[in-house]
Amino acid sequence: MDASDRTIATERIRRLQELAREAVRADRPDRARRYVRLARRVAERHRLTLPHRFRRFTCDRCDAYLVPGRNARVRTREGHVVVTCDCGEHARYPYD
Amino acid sequence: MPTPETLPRHELIGLPVRVADATHDGYVGLGGRVVDETTRTLAVDGSGTGVRQVPKAAATFEFRLPGTGDDAPAHGARGADQFVTVAGERLVARPARRTEHRGDSIWR
Repeated sequence: MDASDRTIATERIRRLQELAREAVRADRPDRARRYVRLARRVAERHRLTLPHRFRRFTCDRCDAYLVPGRNARVRTREGHVVVTCDCGEHARYPYD
Repeated sequence: MPTPETLPRHELIGLPVRVADATHDGYVGLGGRVVDETTRTLAVDGSGTGVRQVPKAAATFEFRLPGTGDDAPAHGARGADQFVTVAGERLVARPARRTEHRGDSIWR
């Protein structure tokens, strides 16, 4: 593996993220889930860190791509933000 | 973004594709967007025809790459779309593994 492999992998992850978001908007959450899982697998194989936005807007439990207002709720609480997936999973993120 | 050189190792999902040739006539001419990929097949969503699963090894695919800005004639205009023909056999690999194959190794 060299740098060009990593570039391709990074581009693939970014592309899959866009596709997952479009799929959720087009009411194809099953397809979006497939893309999220594939992006995770690509990152794993190439030892890449997933983009910040990807980590925050995908469900750790069911791999859904989260679009607030569509399949996720975002609530601000004291000291943290809570993102709730339709599957019931909560993720809490600090403000900083 | 995918270029003709990197396409076989790049993300195929989302790209417009047409089956240029296949060992079975039923697949020839199928077109649409790639919506899913498995080790041995591509799922192509054609408008009106629904999603069809096409075996990679048995087909030759023609992908359309959206034109980049590089070869654009005028500023702000998009370059012409490029058509890339790939022998499906080169794509036979698990989706996440494909990026790692260079396709020029003599080792299995």
